[in-house]
Amino acid sequence: MSLLRQIAAVCVLGLSSLPERRSTALVIVFGLACVVGVLTSMLSLTVGLTRAYVRPEDEARAIVFARNAMGEWSHSIERGSIGTILDAPGIAKRPGGAPLADAEFLLHLPPIEGFVDGSLELRGLGSTGRALRPAFRIVSGRMFRPGTQELLAGAGAAKQFGLVVGSKVRLRNGEWPVVGVFTCGGEIMESHLVGDADTIMSATRRKGFGSVVAQLVNADAYPTFEAWLTSNPAIAVSVERKSDYDRRLLGSNSAFFTRMAYLIGMIMALGALFGVVKIMYAAVRARTREIGTLRAVGFGAASVAASVLAEAALLGILGALIGTALAWLIFDGRQMWVWGSFRLHVSLHLLALGVAWALVTSVLGGLFPALRAARLPTSEALRAA
Amino acid sequence: MKYVPLVWAAVRRNPTESLLALLTQTVAFALFGAMVALNSAYEKAIDDARMDRLFVVCRFECQGLPLAYEEQLARLDAVVGVGAQVWLGGREQDERHQILVMFVDSGMRAAWPELPMTQVDWRALDRMPDGVFLTRKAAARRSVRVGGVLPMTTLPGSRADGTSAWYFKVLGIIDDPPGWGQWTPDLIVGNLRYFQEAGRPDERNTANVLRVAVDRPDHAREVCRTIEARFTNANPAVYCIPARQDAEQLADANINMRQISLGIGAAGLFMILFLSANGVAESVRERLPEFGMLKTLGYRDTLVAALVFLEAAVPTVLAALLGSALARVVSTLAARLAVKGVIDMPEMHGSLSAFALALGAALFIALVSTVAPLQRIRRMDVAAVLAGR
Repeated sequence: MSLLRQIAAVCVLGLSSLPERRSTALVIVFGLACVVGVLTSMLSLTVGLTRAYVRPEDEARAIVFARNAMGEWSHSIERGSIGTILDAPGIAKRPGGAPLADAEFLLHLPPIEGFVDGSLELRGLGSTGRALRPAFRIVSGRMFRPGTQELLAGAGAAKQFGLVVGSKVRLRNGEWPVVGVFTCGGEIMESHLVGDADTIMSATRRKGFGSVVAQLVNADAYPTFEAWLTSNPAIAVSVERKSDYDRRLLGSNSAFFTRMAYLIGMIMALGALFGVVKIMYAAVRARTREIGTLRAVGFGAASVAASVLAEAALLGILGALIGTALAWLIFDGRQMWVWGSFRLHVSLHLLALGVAWALVTSVLGGLFPALRAARLPTSEALRAA
Repeated sequence: MKYVPLVWAAVRRNPTESLLALLTQTVAFALFGAMVALNSAYEKAIDDARMDRLFVVCRFECQGLPLAYEEQLARLDAVVGVGAQVWLGGREQDERHQILVMFVDSGMRAAWPELPMTQVDWRALDRMPDGVFLTRKAAARRSVRVGGVLPMTTLPGSRADGTSAWYFKVLGIIDDPPGWGQWTPDLIVGNLRYFQEAGRPDERNTANVLRVAVDRPDHAREVCRTIEARFTNANPAVYCIPARQDAEQLADANINMRQISLGIGAAGLFMILFLSANGVAESVRERLPEFGMLKTLGYRDTLVAALVFLEAAVPTVLAALLGSALARVVSTLAARLAVKGVIDMPEMHGSLSAFALALGAALFIALVSTVAPLQRIRRMDVAAVLAGR
């Protein structure tokens, strides 16, 4: 019998006796389910945040903001510069031939009672703002009317701050009604209030825009677009691919939590590793007679060791699947507010990570017991009966 | 004491597996201890934030609050101190390391008496306007010494002379102030007068935050309401919040580490529970004849139960002791993740209550682990077990 067939036969035999050792097997399964469950639950936060911030369409978008500014909060792109920016090569055109780019700005709103300062932001949209975002949908109420003091609430902001159509938001020059609630494909903009850029600028006495968001004809158009703008002596702006800008904003926010998830995942995996070693030693002890018999009828040490590893791996994968499934059931799609509104997401990537995490832990844990099983003297193993 | 050898023999029955179980439980208790410490650190940080200290900021985005507001605030009933602060952010020599200096005026002596600066420190800051005081944590992270220079690079144009390099003389190291809220772990205190002189002209005579101390915590909300009403029609209008309320909102509005830490701690305990329950069940199953013999010798069910419980409790309690000691290491590792100030974490300390909680959890797990095996012992047919059937 070839080695592979031997391994397969011993693995099947070993696994068939699992039901008799179900309580010990369940310890591995549930232990690793805990490890993977905690890991994937924590990482679902960063995956959700990334999905909200970094959109696939942002690869072919660019954001222009004032030179030396860190982002769109500086409000120092003068109105007179906007025309020059919109003339830049590489910007996609709307059906009428107008550039598909929008001068916008973002501004922190006064604190709403019960929430921290600056946690709600107001985005001023220009006439092309909606066209730039095909996923933009009004889910209740209506669109704000340009030139009027009206606001839309993103679905996330509405939920977090209890805003509904008819709510009033206090700005510098009085209270502005919320006339609609919108979604935007889960984009972070759903955490913002949105209004007409010109009207808000006038009300807040701002003279400059924060940014110009431009849809490029394709992702390859970016270098030309950037070079044209940054070398233009008439304007002082910085340009960044929108996806890079989003990642930069997100990076510092999510890095801590990602590191924390991996640290805790590693500590828990270390604990589980010792547990797997213990349980697999016990499993080898329980199978001593079976192993002795197999060796006596001619099965090799390698196939016996492989069966122990296969058992550990199988239990590990089962644990990972249960852990990820629990994380998915409990957390997937749950709306959270961390620097903005987003939904937790237990992705396929996290499932794969969880399986890999559990697999490495269980296989490492099964290594020493597998070696012991392989080295069991046949006569001694048979006497264990 | 006469039963100790019996318990010890049971624990040492399979030394390798007992050691591995102990290691698993120790790691899980270390994680549990760290999470409890993290949770209580957040709670303590909120407790340390005082209700009788108020933050006054711009209600709407503005270039800053006029320093003239200080005088008006100081005249309000129940106000015992008003101080101004300005944050200036930049980079250290290593571009990845951000640095934040908080410039304060002398009003902070009364408005923020918890800031651990002595009269001598205040005088030194007054004499040397470009000097700074660093908290112990801030100093340790930068390896700076008293008398040294702390450089900072800001955005171009942040200085009146158009340059962007700031050099501060390190005047001293102060304790980390209690509480957690609107300051980062790297607290670096400078002189507001210097910032007014050296900073951008358009930022002169303004502050980012005015701190107000009131005489009693129960006056805080009323004073806040008065302040907001007083400046409703002013330009800029203001928003006022007690420091404690601010800390509570900050802890709950973003990543709720208090809840997360409890969830992780609970998952760690589940792992221990599974392992412990399995270990005891296995041990009892393999030693049924031994328990049959003990019962034949006259050991009552309660005594046998006590022996089994002790057998389960010895490793869990030992693991709780070791794990609680190791929790400090885990806490240090977790705290290191926040060094660059991405997310501020309050300092974690081991506490007697965390230790007691771990010990209680260990005993509870031992108790739960023994329930099913004890049922088995109670229901066993002694004669059949002794006969090997």
